[in-house]
Amino acid sequence: MAQVIETVGLTKSYGQRRGIVDVGFSVSEGEVFGFLGPNGAGKTTTIRLLVGAIRPTSGSARVLGLDTWADATRAHASMAYLSSDPGYLGELTAAEQLDYLASLRGLAKGAWRRVAERLELDPSVRIRKLSRGNRQKVAVVQAFMGHEPLLVMDEPTSGLDPLMQREFLALLAEAKADGRTVFLSSHNLPEVERGCDRVAIIREGRVVDISPVQVLLGEHWRSVNLVLDTPPARGFFDLPDVRVLSEGGRDIHLMVRGDVNPLLRRIAQLEIRDVAITTPDIEDVFMRFYDPTTREAAAPGSPAPEPVRPATEPSEEVLA
Amino acid sequence: MIASVFGMELRRSRTLIGWMAALSVAYAGIMTLMYPRMAESNDALQAYMKVFPKEIISAFGMQNGLSDVGTFFNLYVFSMLWPVVAAIVGILLATRPVAADLDRGFLELPLSARISRRRYLLAAIGTQFVAMLVLTALTLAIIVGLGPLVGYPFDAGRFAVAGVLLLASGCAIAGVTTLLAVVTLSRGVAGGLVAGVLVIMYLFNAMARIDTSFDWLSYLSAFRYLDPVDAIDTGAWPVQGLVVFATVAVGSWLASLWTFGRRDLIA
Repeated sequence: MAQVIETVGLTKSYGQRRGIVDVGFSVSEGEVFGFLGPNGAGKTTTIRLLVGAIRPTSGSARVLGLDTWADATRAHASMAYLSSDPGYLGELTAAEQLDYLASLRGLAKGAWRRVAERLELDPSVRIRKLSRGNRQKVAVVQAFMGHEPLLVMDEPTSGLDPLMQREFLALLAEAKADGRTVFLSSHNLPEVERGCDRVAIIREGRVVDISPVQVLLGEHWRSVNLVLDTPPARGFFDLPDVRVLSEGGRDIHLMVRGDVNPLLRRIAQLEIRDVAITTPDIEDVFMRFYDPTTREAAAPGSPAPEPVRPATEPSEEVLA
Repeated sequence: MIASVFGMELRRSRTLIGWMAALSVAYAGIMTLMYPRMAESNDALQAYMKVFPKEIISAFGMQNGLSDVGTFFNLYVFSMLWPVVAAIVGILLATRPVAADLDRGFLELPLSARISRRRYLLAAIGTQFVAMLVLTALTLAIIVGLGPLVGYPFDAGRFAVAGVLLLASGCAIAGVTTLLAVVTLSRGVAGGLVAGVLVIMYLFNAMARIDTSFDWLSYLSAFRYLDPVDAIDTGAWPVQGLVVFATVAVGSWLASLWTFGRRDLIA
């Protein structure tokens, strides 16, 4: 499958300040690629390099084979961009603003109407009178109003209410169904979990992991809570990849990684009043890579952490 | 697409241009209406001005007497009103599309579309030129238009020559401000620098006229070249001033375009 985005050794430094270091990844055609990291990790710097707003200190970023700095204008023809916290012109109405940006992207006047209706945006209101959430709707409409093969979005749902976030995810799914490629930077973990095919995690300017979302979640621990009629014998749950967090009588809290079948077979030997198995959300996964406390020791009630990959040693996929 | 940007920039500038045009027309109109009284009081004015040292009279460019058309309009309109109007319009229009729009988070939206950075800035520069042209034309038009009504039909051709000098000076201010805005990406720094330098230049020029030993200071001042008196009185082209202002304007704009295409854009 063709690579729509490709970065190799992408580095940006702002004098003494760190930007990003040796970032390498590729995004295939039709893929929804999440870019996760907390504030200051380097997400926006990476996006600014992808849209040609800043020049790389070293390395390169390419969009559909075009260098995003040297061939920025040609690369932009294939790209729709939603910036983080865009500052629209307050004196214009949303319709005037969107028509202006549409004209710069070679789109017809009113190309935004369909998406604006879905997001329940009133286009006749001046931008300065719109709430934060409605301004973000303008940004989302602006991003989805065209048919460019690549969508680059920086914190797209910031300020949107849950209903609009759901509508955003629907738009995202439709874009994917249309074969469009999406690069989505976020620290909204559920949004990435629901919308993305693969996720890169950036920490302190370096990409520390790139994995399919399902793999990232699948490699993680699940929480199993049991309520039994009779407490089991000590050591009853001694199985590979199973950890007993608490055995206070009839209430048992276990953690299991990978295949759950051996544990389920063992549990089936008991009289069970209740059982709950919960999958981790991506926040648990993300914190594993970022939070120093979870790297050193498990928090109460959480699984033992896995060792984080060294920041200077990208995953195999990064190297590939 | 460059037409879209140009249209949007013009639209965003219309309020500023409108107010500055109203100010220029009102002020220049009032001065024109006052001119006959000045001309009729020439003898009394000349006698009154003998009270002041020649250097002071020279410093304010009044050596030909206030009944002289060129001297009168230069003193009250072209060296007083025009630099203020040109500085306000030049600073606001030149810093907006680069520094102010970057700071508010707008600039990256049009620049992530299909228009190149240089074409985008070129459209903004076009707006600056149009604004200066409109203000120059209206200021001169009110003077020339009201002249016959007060019994003094001024020579429109000579005022047009003076207008070219005014236009060039306004473009020079806008050009330098654009360059500073592109380099600093700060509206405050670029605008403040230009305003401050203009004030210093005005003082340099005044000092050079008061004391001839400071004549060299006038060469550091744009106001030495903003002198349309001869153009209005004789129709002579102010070649030196035109060359200086046009060179500064075009050179600054070209340098801005070159720099804007190559620099990081981060607020």
